[in-house]
Amino acid sequence: MQVSKRQFLKGVGALLAGVSVYGATRTPQADSLLQPEQESEIKYAMVHDENACIGCNACVQACREVNHIPEGVTRVKIERKGPFGEYPDQSYRFSRVSCQHCEAAPCVRVCPTGAAYIDKETGIVAVNSDRCVGCQYCIAACPYQVRYIHPETRTADKCDFCQKSRLAQGLQPACVEACPTKALTFGNLKDPESDLVKLLKRKPSYRAKVDLGTRPKLFHIQTIDGEIML
Amino acid sequence: MSAFHFEGLVWHWPIAIYLFLAGLSAGAVFFAIMLKHFKLSHEAWHSPFVQAAAIIAPVAVFGGLGILVFDLTRPLDFWKILVFYNTSSVMSMGVLVLMAYQLVLFAWIACVFQRRITQLLGNRLPVANRLLSWLVKQEAAITGILVILAISLGAYTGFLLSALIGFPLLNNPVLPLLFLISGLSSGAAATLLGGVLLRGNPNGVEVRFIHGIEIPLILVEIGLLFTFFAGLILSGGQSQVAALNALGFGFWGWIFWAGVIGIGLTLPLAFNLWMKVSADRKFAYVAVTASFSLIGVFLLRNFILYTGQMTGI
Ligand code: SF4
Ligand code: SF4
Ligand code: SF4
Repeated sequence: MQVSKRQFLKGVGALLAGVSVYGATRTPQADSLLQPEQESEIKYAMVHDENACIGCNACVQACREVNHIPEGVTRVKIERKGPFGEYPDQSYRFSRVSCQHCEAAPCVRVCPTGAAYIDKETGIVAVNSDRCVGCQYCIAACPYQVRYIHPETRTADKCDFCQKSRLAQGLQPACVEACPTKALTFGNLKDPESDLVKLLKRKPSYRAKVDLGTRPKLFHIQTIDGEIML
Repeated sequence: MSAFHFEGLVWHWPIAIYLFLAGLSAGAVFFAIMLKHFKLSHEAWHSPFVQAAAIIAPVAVFGGLGILVFDLTRPLDFWKILVFYNTSSVMSMGVLVLMAYQLVLFAWIACVFQRRITQLLGNRLPVANRLLSWLVKQEAAITGILVILAISLGAYTGFLLSALIGFPLLNNPVLPLLFLISGLSSGAAATLLGGVLLRGNPNGVEVRFIHGIEIPLILVEIGLLFTFFAGLILSGGQSQVAALNALGFGFWGWIFWAGVIGIGLTLPLAFNLWMKVSADRKFAYVAVTASFSLIGVFLLRNFILYTGQMTGI
């Protein structure tokens, strides 16, 4: 018994040693999760002003064209609730559904390969499609249900603030540019002079499902028209 | 809302089968080890029940992994899960456990059936024989590690689901324990069923031993199910709605009450208690009881997976 116990301990020791060696090869992209407060000058965020939004879906179209999103899936949706009130004084509520670029992103936490990651420079939550195996764990884990499998690449996809298409050229995201009523504002949360921060300081805003602790960076300015909803 | 197709459904029934098979494999190994350790020792390799477990465990875990790989949208990229990994991902850690588990599982099977394998090999492969006798010397270590890995594997399938914070029914600390215990009991049932099919004695020491553990296991499982739902209901809000919806009068409510509670737990428990007092166990009795347990656990996996995803907040 003595011998077998010692053998057993030896075995467990070897197992632990193996695991810790493996630790050295850990994917670096997952690190951002462990030290979320790594300082960088830029942290992108977006505001959707539901008072200004008229539900025209120009953002959805622009995003589709610029980012080559095939039919059947989309990076952004405008959800319509209503009508509220009696004709002719009717109103609707429009709210944007797209990736919230969570600071504590559940999709990043669960991704087995590190394909879902937070870009340290910009705070953008992105997908490295070379690494994605399509396990769909991130899709199930995202409480905002904004991820999908891209029908062509067969990898996970979602809004990336146009990181690859327009930001790289120094332009604003396509949806922001396309919005006829300027309901969308994009900018750097860390820049007090940005339109984004000024807007957030001027108007009260809310974020979806904050109680889940995901710390989303998509802000909504609630419409004052229409129903009070519980 | 239909029972198998609804908005927000990400993981379908193949995943339920995977969850079922992983737990089954871990459970079969667990009981085979217990049988060898407490009852059979060096005679274990003779026992049809240990033989059944030695077949079921690897087949189930391979089948499960196969389903998992097949269910990826890019199955050919499966190797990336092995090369890259993410310490915060339950799936990454689970795949690690799965790999180690399979390795140690084969080592253990080799130890248990060493005499038979040596007989078969004769003098043809001296290297294999040397490896075998080396493995046998490490058997205690291998067994201990395999117990740890089997328990981790059993709980892992529960952790996999409980990491989904958007679903109150899944994001529940009792889930891994519930999956572990029900996985063990499905492993016990599969070992019994396989054993009697391999012409094991339905009244033998193995069946009596496993049945002895099965009663407390079923009781614990009922307790865990109760805790699971009581916890959800008492925490109120969306969790309460989710729990009551799942247990209500819909399709899944029937699956739960008739399938999981009725066929899966109550009947096997009743049979077991009844058999305690009566004398002989017959083939049909062992086979039917075991099948009921297996059906129950399989339905439980589906029930949790589907109702869980129905209740996103
Ligand atoms: S909204 Fe969903 S996809 Fe976007 S960062 Fe948060 S969890 Fe990930
Ligand atoms: S689908 Fe791709 S990005 Fe999502 S968790 Fe799986 S590997 Fe990661
Ligand atoms: S920021 Fe870019 S990717 Fe995101 S919704 Fe707008 S257009 Fe699409």
